Amino acid sequence: MAASILEERKSSIILSGAKKGVSCEKESVSGSVSQRACVFCGARVVLNPITDACHIVHGPIGCASYTWDIRGSLTSGGEAYRNSYSTDLRETDIVFGGEKKLKAAIDELMESEQKPPKLIFVYATCIVGVIGDDVEAVCRESQKKWGIRVIPVKAPGFSGTKSQGYKLACDAIMDYISPFARQPASFGINILGDYNLAGEMWIVKGYFEKIGIPVISTITGDASSESLIKAPSASLNVVQCAGSASYLAQRMEAEMGVPWLKASFYGAQDISSSIVRVADALKDAAICEKARAFTAYESERARSVIDKYKPRFEGKKAAIFVGGGFKAISLIRQFKEFGMKIVLVGTQTGKRDEYDVIESIADDGAVVLDDANPAELEQFMAEKGADILVGGVKERPLAYKLGVAFLDHNHERKHPLAGYIGIENFASEVNLSMNSPVWHHLGMHC
Amino acid sequence: MSNLVNINVNPCKMCMPMGAAMAIAGFKGAMSILHGSQGCATYIRRHMATHFNEPIDIASSALSEEGAVFGGEKNLQKGLDNLIKMYHPQVIGVCSTCLAETIGEDLKAMIKRFHEKNPGSGASIIDVSSPGYGGTQNEGFFRALRAIVEQTVSGAPHKAREGGLINIVAPMISPADTRWLKSFLNEAGVRSILIPDISDNLDGVAQKRYERLKSGGTPLSDVMRMKSAEITLEFSEFISEKDSPGAFLRDAFGVPLLRLPLPTGLRGMDRFIDILCAYGGKISAEHAKERGRYLDAMADSHKANAKARAAVFGDPDFVKGIVSLCCENGAVPVLAATGSACAGFKRALGGEIEKCAQNAFAEGFEIADDCDFSTIEHFCGKLGANIMIGSSDGRRAAGRLGIDLIRRGFPIHDHVGGQRTRTLGFDGSLGMLDEISNSMLSRTEENFRRVIYNEHFKPLKEISKKERLESHPCFSGCASQNARIHLPVAPKCNIQCGYCKRSFDCPNESRPGAASKVLSPNEALERYKRFKKNCKNLTVAGIAGPGDALANFDDTRETIRLIKGCDPQVMLCLSTNGLMLPIYAAELIKLGVGHMTVTVNTVDPSVGAKIISYADFLGRRFTGEAAAGLLIANQLSGIKMASEMGAVIKVNCVALKGINDGCIEEVSKKASELGAYMVNIMPHIPIKGSQLECLEKMSVGELEALRTTCEPFARQMRHCRQCSADAAGTLDMDFFSASEERSAHQEFDTENTKRFAVASKSGIIVDQHFGHAEEFLIFDSDGASSRFVERRKISRYCGGAECDEEGKWAKILKALSDCDGVLAVRIGHAPEEKLRASGIVPIRACERIEGAVAAAAGSLREAESASAL
Repeated sequence: MAASILEERKSSIILSGAKKGVSCEKESVSGSVSQRACVFCGARVVLNPITDACHIVHGPIGCASYTWDIRGSLTSGGEAYRNSYSTDLRETDIVFGGEKKLKAAIDELMESEQKPPKLIFVYATCIVGVIGDDVEAVCRESQKKWGIRVIPVKAPGFSGTKSQGYKLACDAIMDYISPFARQPASFGINILGDYNLAGEMWIVKGYFEKIGIPVISTITGDASSESLIKAPSASLNVVQCAGSASYLAQRMEAEMGVPWLKASFYGAQDISSSIVRVADALKDAAICEKARAFTAYESERARSVIDKYKPRFEGKKAAIFVGGGFKAISLIRQFKEFGMKIVLVGTQTGKRDEYDVIESIADDGAVVLDDANPAELEQFMAEKGADILVGGVKERPLAYKLGVAFLDHNHERKHPLAGYIGIENFASEVNLSMNSPVWHHLGMHC
Repeated sequence: MSNLVNINVNPCKMCMPMGAAMAIAGFKGAMSILHGSQGCATYIRRHMATHFNEPIDIASSALSEEGAVFGGEKNLQKGLDNLIKMYHPQVIGVCSTCLAETIGEDLKAMIKRFHEKNPGSGASIIDVSSPGYGGTQNEGFFRALRAIVEQTVSGAPHKAREGGLINIVAPMISPADTRWLKSFLNEAGVRSILIPDISDNLDGVAQKRYERLKSGGTPLSDVMRMKSAEITLEFSEFISEKDSPGAFLRDAFGVPLLRLPLPTGLRGMDRFIDILCAYGGKISAEHAKERGRYLDAMADSHKANAKARAAVFGDPDFVKGIVSLCCENGAVPVLAATGSACAGFKRALGGEIEKCAQNAFAEGFEIADDCDFSTIEHFCGKLGANIMIGSSDGRRAAGRLGIDLIRRGFPIHDHVGGQRTRTLGFDGSLGMLDEISNSMLSRTEENFRRVIYNEHFKPLKEISKKERLESHPCFSGCASQNARIHLPVAPKCNIQCGYCKRSFDCPNESRPGAASKVLSPNEALERYKRFKKNCKNLTVAGIAGPGDALANFDDTRETIRLIKGCDPQVMLCLSTNGLMLPIYAAELIKLGVGHMTVTVNTVDPSVGAKIISYADFLGRRFTGEAAAGLLIANQLSGIKMASEMGAVIKVNCVALKGINDGCIEEVSKKASELGAYMVNIMPHIPIKGSQLECLEKMSVGELEALRTTCEPFARQMRHCRQCSADAAGTLDMDFFSASEERSAHQEFDTENTKRFAVASKSGIIVDQHFGHAEEFLIFDSDGASSRFVERRKISRYCGGAECDEEGKWAKILKALSDCDGVLAVRIGHAPEEKLRASGIVPIRACERIEGAVAAAAGSLREAESASAL
């Protein structure tokens, strides 16, 4: 390995097929230019899509500024979630404490909004704990004063990784829905872990409704304070993004008796098996039949997409660097469907067993790396001759500098990649970037 | 909502470390490391990468819980070490964050200890105090500049000043503006040291070999020489003395400091040029001409600019520059806003804006510091702003206000070219002025006809035909966002088409599938209300069978009446074979039915006789050509009547290969002649049991050829999605019909199924070690397809005994007692033996669960039949 790889990073980089698995689930190495975000980020991205909730960031301004309207989550209802509220703590607040300001902020928000929210999340960022604010007490008090729910999310950035933030968000949701744990059962499912980026929740929901499965509650894509409280009545939780929502599903099963299943709505095979399995789990013969007919019909249409693009993609090399392991696995399988090779796979916060799968399904010799930094991505993309990188916004300019195509698979995208429609979007974007004439010219003239 | 004091709603500012990192990026061989949580660096990198479209590498000391409690020195030392190993920087800016400052980290001491431990690191390490609560990115930017100058420039003050050397301190300007500034100084023959110089580092070129550490920027060796300059020009009038690098050079080294407004607009540029000339600069003839062109353009576009009521927001110095440009051009800056808390802001801008506003009879203006976007949006509305100038964060407000946003400043996230925006110089100013002028010109151009028409010519109350076309998804090419709902209230039909089977829906509109449930008019109303509640864009209600709407006229009329009564705004449409159309046309129009679809397959009775077998009309049954002739005559006269009375008519035509394909052209001609709006040639879908069951289906190519032939005579519908009742969310049956046969073959063989337990973490593929599994997914399979049974937790099978090794096995075996096999990515040798001993076959797999299960069932069954033989 080259000199630019730090000693303590070496165990986090392996070649697929190696005896020893990649080292992961560790703190980032200081100074290594990690691509990871923080605990607060994880909590906010999960809760943010609840459309009529207000999200108040208690802390200095930066965190609210950088997460304003952060995801392309669509709404059929409220727009409150697209604002970013902050207590904007200043020097004096750090000295004298920010509790009063937080209380006043909540009061002001409740008084000034024409339609005051029924649900407020208060995020405590890095220094709130350090300066000794009792956020829980303020939330309790305000909750009582205004007769709404004010839920504290204690998410100092340093207290773990983004995954810890997901967990905090799930706890906040449980906090909100637990009072409604006992309610008459209704036939139908909740969809968990889809955030309605580019309307993906609507697409998936549409599939289930088409085959006669009502969707009771969506968590959290296009959710509202009203719709969330119906969640405990559902017959089944379907978990799409396992990384962020499995924990919620586990708690709902243990405390409310709602069983759950994992699912994936990326790539034709995964979508079809997921739909059929959900139908099977509900044990309604007519629905099972419809599910099979529907998925068979759609799979056939998907096949024509794959047939169209495969000749152009076959043998090309893909590099993947995404947030979680679940998405990486799904992407490996999607690229493979088009006959592409995988030369690099990495995640920010993948888990041990996810890496086991990655190592077993990536092509032999592929570089597998956890919590990679730009220097490593640069080195291995060049070394392996990647034709396309999938990643987040930060990785995009690096890919372009290296003359590598790029697929935006991040939460700011404006086109759905889930569902059967997503297969065509995926292929079309890979094609338009990877087969763009610009790479030819860049190669000639640089 | 406006001017809330305790809550910031949609920040119009970022934090200090952001500005500090951006300033540091303007020095040669420099890298930043933020001492704090990992997230700070990541957010700032993302913010900058999206604006500059450049890789932005900023390190973090990645403080954890432990660091936050016991101090983060260990992390910072390690971070510096790693950063040097990876990037070999010549300069490292160590910026503090909220967390570092709050827990009281002493950066200077830590850096000193680092140097002691690593004497040969080769990097100048600068500490910058940039707590997020201490100010905005603007203050962070200048504070970092000052820190670099303070910690680099040393020694005694120079006695002799270096003749003609000028220090230039730039605020946050774009790389393109920085390039302009450098070349302008160069062409004026002025020797200068510019800090920071982000021109290359934040707007790089495509290179054969990627440079991880950027090679542009001001070298520290130049910074050292700043103490000998004749003067420092600082393009900031608002930054406080303690954050000003120029003030430091003045106080410590006696370099005179002159603070200037940005060189933007006529006056900003003239001021800059005067000073350069005073220090020996010469303005070329070409630059003099540029000034002339700017003046010329001011005159050319002054009338358009006079209409502008601009809302300008951003850093204080940026806002002042733009305000000055607006005012000299007669564009009224009705709002000047900054996110920074900036005491002198109002005073500095008030006089000029007031004069400009009075001159233009503008009704009011506001100047606000420490301002958020909720306040900005509020003032924009109140003061009638018609253009915004600032970062892309203003786009949401601009969108809601329906006004243009001229993107300048930082960040620009929704457009490309943030790094290339221009504000400075005569050319940069003119480019921006043109954008303001053109926005005003476009507003006038787009609106004046409508505005004058609406004000001075009484608009028609009635819904026009055009509006009706636009609001119906079938007629506006699905571009319309409007949804429709079909209400199946008409079961009976009065003709028998050869392609139709009675037990199915009429193929006119809905595709053949299982018959929909027929609703009573009241049920239809309930259904409409239900969907209207959930579907805001539901604008059209239609009656399209399952039989013929007019053969069930009483129910149809009642349904229409009920719906119209509940929602007077609704557009009504209806689909019919046209036999009864001449009789009901007038009444339908009166009921408010604005859209009708009539299925006309031929206008030749001899052809018609091959398509329909009978027609029931006014109590009599007609057959053969008589039936066809009667149908055609009624269709044509009905279309003519309804169309003349104002209905929008679509003619559907089912293309039947070898039967009517020869006369579709004639249908198109006739339809168009009678006033139909469009013709929809639809493929015939063969239905089992119908008379034309065996008729070959027309290919897409043939259909398209037909449409092209008919195109000259009638507008062709190509966007038909055959949506049936889908828009309302009921079952779209198309996939059932298409896959009916296939699923019939896939009957699940319930007799010969095998049961499997699958170890899966992802739930999608077999990806877990048997030993790690705490639960199994249970599947049944007949070898061809598989069926999910349940998720099974092992812990549930606890016998109550201690969970020792034996107890655990007992549980597992109990949980798997009904299974024929177990699938896992790996299974150890011992458990494998135990499973076999209990009659459960262990299988290794790492593919998709459903496929793996089916394959396993197949091989188990094969093995069984082999042993049976």
